Amino acid sequence: MMPGRPAHPAAIDIGALRHAWPGEADILRIDRFHVAAGERVFLAGPSGSGKSTLLGLIAGITPCQQGRVAILGDPVGGMSPARRDAHRAAHIGVIFQLFNLVPYLSALENTLLPLRFSPQRAERVRRTGQTPVTEARRLLDVLGLDETTLGKPATALSIGQQQRVAAARALIGHPGLIIADEPTSALDRESRDGFIDLLNSECARTGAALLFVSHDTALAAGFDRHVDLRDINRMAIAA
Amino acid sequence: MSAPLTRLARKSLLNRGVSVGLTVLSVALSVMLFLGVEKIRTGARDGFHATISGTDLVVGARGGAVNLLLYSVFHLGDPTANIGWDSYERVATAPGVAWTVPVSLGDSHRGYRVVGTTPAYFDRYRYGRRQALRFADGRGFDGIYQAVIGAETARRLGYGLGDEITLSHGIGEVSFAEHTGHPFQITGILAATGTPVDRSVLVSLESLEAIHAGWDSGVARSGAQAATGGSGLQPDSVTAILVGTDSPIRVLSLQRQINTYRGEALSAVMPGVALSQLWRVIGAGETALRAISVLIVFVGLSGILTALSAGLNERRREMAVLRAIGARPQEIFALMTLEAAAIAFAGALAGILAVNLAFLAVSARVMRRYGLDLGQAGPGLTDLGVLAAVTLAAAVLGSWPAWRAQRNALADGLSIRL
Ligand SMILES: Nc1ncnc2c1ncn2[C@@H]1O[C@H](COP(=O)(O)OP(=O)(O)OP(=O)(O)O)[C@@H](O)[C@H]1O
Ligand SMILES: [Mg+2]
Repeated sequence: MMPGRPAHPAAIDIGALRHAWPGEADILRIDRFHVAAGERVFLAGPSGSGKSTLLGLIAGITPCQQGRVAILGDPVGGMSPARRDAHRAAHIGVIFQLFNLVPYLSALENTLLPLRFSPQRAERVRRTGQTPVTEARRLLDVLGLDETTLGKPATALSIGQQQRVAAARALIGHPGLIIADEPTSALDRESRDGFIDLLNSECARTGAALLFVSHDTALAAGFDRHVDLRDINRMAIAA
Repeated sequence: MSAPLTRLARKSLLNRGVSVGLTVLSVALSVMLFLGVEKIRTGARDGFHATISGTDLVVGARGGAVNLLLYSVFHLGDPTANIGWDSYERVATAPGVAWTVPVSLGDSHRGYRVVGTTPAYFDRYRYGRRQALRFADGRGFDGIYQAVIGAETARRLGYGLGDEITLSHGIGEVSFAEHTGHPFQITGILAATGTPVDRSVLVSLESLEAIHAGWDSGVARSGAQAATGGSGLQPDSVTAILVGTDSPIRVLSLQRQINTYRGEALSAVMPGVALSQLWRVIGAGETALRAISVLIVFVGLSGILTALSAGLNERRREMAVLRAIGARPQEIFALMTLEAAAIAFAGALAGILAVNLAFLAVSARVMRRYGLDLGQAGPGLTDLGVLAAVTLAAAVLGSWPAWRAQRNALADGLSIRL
């Protein structure tokens, strides 16, 4: 760890952030948004309010135009695109709403994929004394996928199974931050609740912070904190 | 960094088995066509240049080098004039001349040219890498009214040893003037050479003289009578002379000597030089053929472009997922170009293998039947070059859809529209 860096830097530290898509007015103006290390935050907001845009900035997929975006103590906002990509590979797990998996890879191969893109993450697995495959199997098992589904191609899985494989893939190699963009909106109520419980408990176990986006505030119960994007985004207030 | 990419590219291609397979097939077919044309083309060119070797000069009546070569060696067209027998003797006895073979043309048998010559023809005429003529069956002529036929003449007309044929005056397929009174007996059949010799009927100068003597007098003399009067059958002219010298350094001075011979207007040409001149004329078609087969390879490659571009939209999600996992835009680009290159590589490899197997299967037969040497079977430097060029060209072509995929991935961010 770098000298002078706090032992547990904030998972997300955003200040004076502004973002506009090309040819459009500002969609985000956030003075301050903070998620502590290991904190599990539920982020709500109506459709089109810029939730996914914010996640893109946090993940470093969308370049930061103005303001400060620091993830786990690293100033992602100021990094070169290549370093942002490497940072994301090593420290952030992403779960989408749908179609999370690479269609031509099996459930197990999909889960292992982040370890192939980030040596750091692979190293973290090795330090726990596990091999990548045993760790992937363990996570898939914890998330309730039985042995027979592991070798199946992603396209042969049900949506619920796909989302759980996506969660295992986000969690493998102990990233410090998991961001999930409405991962349960395509699930029925039962599997939705199960999914959120598992995600929460796994994050709690590994100490990963979780930023969970949904417009369904009924899901907010199990989280440490509940944030509405309209409360932190000045553009939303103006609108 | 590239290890996950090659793995991804492989799995992605295998996953789209049928469509990728068809694209590979179209590349393979185009490469097969290209290499097939290329091999036949070089075989034909080498075979052409190997039509005559070991002869230092070809001498005929004054005229253009290409024309002289065409009628004397390729048996195409007609000589402008003949050479007098005394000129032939002057050339044969000139200092530095090691051997001469006179050639007399003008008759035919069912469209196949009759070549009147001496038995020395069978020793002196060389083709390819100075290969001598070989008898597939029988032997040379040693008397009049005997004929030796080329491999194609024998095969096409279905002749065998001992068969009798009649010559006709002139060179048309359907002749109006047959030397019917003097059938020739076939004493030998030559092995295929891939040269015009295959399509000829070889007889002695005396035999030609004999049938023409009978013709001239308007009365057919009997064969026995003509045979006994051998000394009276010396021709008074020949069409061309093949000349070999003692030493290659004498060729130029001998050529100058013959060209400036005062007794008769003669031309002496070096066959190699004239062959090159002639090939330059025929070679235009060769270049066109080559251009077409290159174009066909590009048609095959454009199939890759189509296949990749068609999949671009449905793969948008996949690229976004890879980006989220940490893939850089350049890696998205690399994945797509890698797929294009891999399809081309597999196609080219399959095409090369197929062509070589096909050539392996037929080259011995082509050699036996047509005397055309298709070159060494088995992959050569050309094949390697084609493999590299096709793969590289596909990578370059693939960079277009690859660039589009990369641009999409960058623009999409985390919120991909479905
Ligand atoms: N990659 C992009 N390029 C251009 N415009 C974009 C892009 N992503 C989002 N936008 C625009 O930004 C605005 C906010 O979109 P965003 O996806 O962030 O909303 P959201 O809160 O996630 O909505 P939802 O709940 O429907 O997912 C929309 O007007 C959208 O058109
Ligand atoms: Mg969204």
